[in-house]
Amino acid sequence: MQRTLLLMSIPFLLYRLLFSYVPLIGWAIAFQDFRPRIGVTPLQSLRTNEFIGLDNFRVLLDTDTVLGARFVQSIINTFGQALLTQIVGFICAIVLSLMLNEVRQNGIKKVIQNILYLPHFLSWVIVASLASVALALPASGGIINEFLLWTRIISEPIHFLANPSYFWGIVAGTHLWRNLGWNTIIYLAAMTAVDPSLYEAASIDGASRYRKMWHITLSSIKPTIVILMIMNVGWLLTSGFEIQWFLGHGVNIPRSENIDIFIFRYGIQMGNFGLATASGILRTGISITLLSIVNFIAGRLGSEKLF
Amino acid sequence: MKNLFLVSALFMFVFAFAACGRNEDAPPQQSSENLILSPDNPVEISMLIVTNQVEPAPNNRMAALMAERLGVTINYEIVTPEMQAERLSVLIAGGGVGLPDILATTEIEPRLTEAGAKLRLDDFLDSGRWPNIYEHIAPYRRRLSWTGGDASPGFYTIPNYNRFYGDPPILGGTHFGSGFFIQKRVLEWHDFPDLTDMTLERYFQLIEEFLIANPYTPEGLPHIGFTFPAFPGREWGMTNPPMFLAGHPNNGGVLVHDGIATIYADTEYSRRYFQFLNEMFNRNSEFPGHVVLVDPEAATQSQDMYFANIASGRVLGMHDQRWGFSTPHDSLIAAGQFDRTFVATMPTFDGRAPWYADRDVLNIHQGFAISSTVSQERAELLLTFIDTILSEEWQILLSWGEEGIDYHVGADGIFYRTPQQRLDYDNTTWQQNNRLMAFFDTMPKRQGTLSCGNAFAPGDQPLEFMESLSDYHRWFLEQYNKYTWRDFVNDPPPNPVYYPAWQISVGAGTPANIASSELEAAALIHLPQIIMAGPHDFDALWAAYVEHIGRIDVAAFENAMTAGIQERIALWGQ
Repeated sequence: MQRTLLLMSIPFLLYRLLFSYVPLIGWAIAFQDFRPRIGVTPLQSLRTNEFIGLDNFRVLLDTDTVLGARFVQSIINTFGQALLTQIVGFICAIVLSLMLNEVRQNGIKKVIQNILYLPHFLSWVIVASLASVALALPASGGIINEFLLWTRIISEPIHFLANPSYFWGIVAGTHLWRNLGWNTIIYLAAMTAVDPSLYEAASIDGASRYRKMWHITLSSIKPTIVILMIMNVGWLLTSGFEIQWFLGHGVNIPRSENIDIFIFRYGIQMGNFGLATASGILRTGISITLLSIVNFIAGRLGSEKLF
Repeated sequence: MKNLFLVSALFMFVFAFAACGRNEDAPPQQSSENLILSPDNPVEISMLIVTNQVEPAPNNRMAALMAERLGVTINYEIVTPEMQAERLSVLIAGGGVGLPDILATTEIEPRLTEAGAKLRLDDFLDSGRWPNIYEHIAPYRRRLSWTGGDASPGFYTIPNYNRFYGDPPILGGTHFGSGFFIQKRVLEWHDFPDLTDMTLERYFQLIEEFLIANPYTPEGLPHIGFTFPAFPGREWGMTNPPMFLAGHPNNGGVLVHDGIATIYADTEYSRRYFQFLNEMFNRNSEFPGHVVLVDPEAATQSQDMYFANIASGRVLGMHDQRWGFSTPHDSLIAAGQFDRTFVATMPTFDGRAPWYADRDVLNIHQGFAISSTVSQERAELLLTFIDTILSEEWQILLSWGEEGIDYHVGADGIFYRTPQQRLDYDNTTWQQNNRLMAFFDTMPKRQGTLSCGNAFAPGDQPLEFMESLSDYHRWFLEQYNKYTWRDFVNDPPPNPVYYPAWQISVGAGTPANIASSELEAAALIHLPQIIMAGPHDFDALWAAYVEHIGRIDVAAFENAMTAGIQERIALWGQ
């Protein structure tokens, strides 16, 4: 029996090896003076390129140069954007799920849920162009400014895209707008699994609605929350590409350029593949370290662990 | 496989046939003859074309004509200019998988040549079998030849623009280059003020006075006094003005003195321009509502927004190159809002002579190249195709169209068009069905004067230019006593030998290349803040910008540019 099961897993193992591990051979580019040429396959050129050791890493991490400072800033930006996105997204998704869970009329609940899911099916390109108009000045159709002016929260329109300090917020905001409804699915599913007798017992004990939400619903989905939190840490060095690419104009580069954009600029656009690969390796290294730390802490706290 | 056999069989047949008809006087050592392109021998040619134009419609008349007369069908892969760097990188990194027959690219960094993607054409052309191409490049061969590292020196790319025929060649009436453009309505309101010896102060004064009197467009939209493009690929809309104000021609990011290139981003010229722009920006608060003298969104606007603003008639002035806003210009014309279009003015500092307009520069490393992965026979066939395209017959077909349908020939042999034909020609939907715009954009052209005495393009034909002007435009030109839009800009002196420095490649991924992109990024990060600074913040922000530039390896960039200039002077100066 065991043997059959093992045999059945082989195709998936091969799939993983072929598409996730074999491409790692390309990491060698980071240690080479990589000059691609027509008629030479990438594998051939990997064998013939001159090795330059850790030069690319040194260039990237030398913060005295403009390039190094820019790379380190791109790590900070990725981290900041992702952290803000996840904290905001996380809290809002749990609160919204709790609220949806309390809606007793199933018809209304379905309608609300569907409305909330819809933005998730828009492509990022569309979200980015909607956001660029919404965030513009009132004369160019900036509805956010118009709303803030109308409600007298501000007296002068804010130039969101020309002021770098707003950019992390813009990333978090667009992600929230697009993914909020979608992210509630997993929590709502976890909530349906809660034993109804717990609520009944609590009611008999005189627990209010909010008490039940806090002590029963939230406590019951705690394992789900922790696992999702750990898994999300793995994404802390991935903050998306499209929003930063489409809304990241020159003036906000100090806050908008994340690692993906950095790699794209230097690797794909400028053709410096060695530098781009080195940045990718550094990113992966940091991600794995972060994930291990959080996993270790979670284990220490007696919660579920990922590995 | 069967197809391939058929094609080669046909090839052999045509080959033998052509050999029979060979001229007795032909040199005996020339053993091969060109394949004749004919519908009996259909070929498909794949092309990668970098252009803003779109693929022709499936039933395009000119494509049908090409298939009918030459047997050639073109398979397009169209890449827009802003996507070009990515597409070429992927192509090169993949080792040439998916290289088309013909590469029609416009990248300034000749990465394809360096990576060995292009076929060296010298031996082919020297055989004399493709006389049209040979004639096309012969006078400029040295200029067009590649001399960098990695690839062997020689001729690779047949240029797309600005190889002129005729002495002197007929040039069109439109100045497509740089300028501080101003809406005609503003000049009309000022009763056609003199535009010579323009200064920055007077340019803005013209706009500001109009803006005070007319804050809103007739449709009620708030006016934008001055804007500029700064989106990816067009950053120079923001950064170039100090160079022109200093009286220099367009050398990109550098000023050239005695063959030595220096950047101007941190010079007094730059500081003066941006300080002035900052002062103008701070006057925005004097205007009602959303009316502005300097567009606060200039540096963050996308191309779509920039175009939409110009097409709506809200924009009164901008620094740009005329081709850069052709799309909204054409929509203004199509909407009959002739007074909302623009003329170029040329402000300079301290009464310097303006050098905004230059002599049209031959493009190098941009245009048609044959992929290095094709076979010898295939390369010969492609050259025959390009040679055919360069014949006057096909040049006229692709530029003017078909006689009797798209244009008529007068008794004196001069081509002319009816008003309807003119309208059609500029109509994008019609173009998609009747012209090969994408192909035309990158193909080698016999610009200037054709052997029949007509201009290469209808818009360049003097009579056509005059006829196609609206009554308003004709009246407007009369007010200034001028005949064409070119008359509004300086009469360009001969270009220096090395000119233009922006064409010089410093090599992808080199320290000079990285420094150049860092300079650009520094400008994009700091200049918008500087322009929009409060009245007392300018100096601190300017100092921060200069400090940022100080941390960039500017010397690497300047030295590479100077080396490029010196190399050009040494090679081309003779």
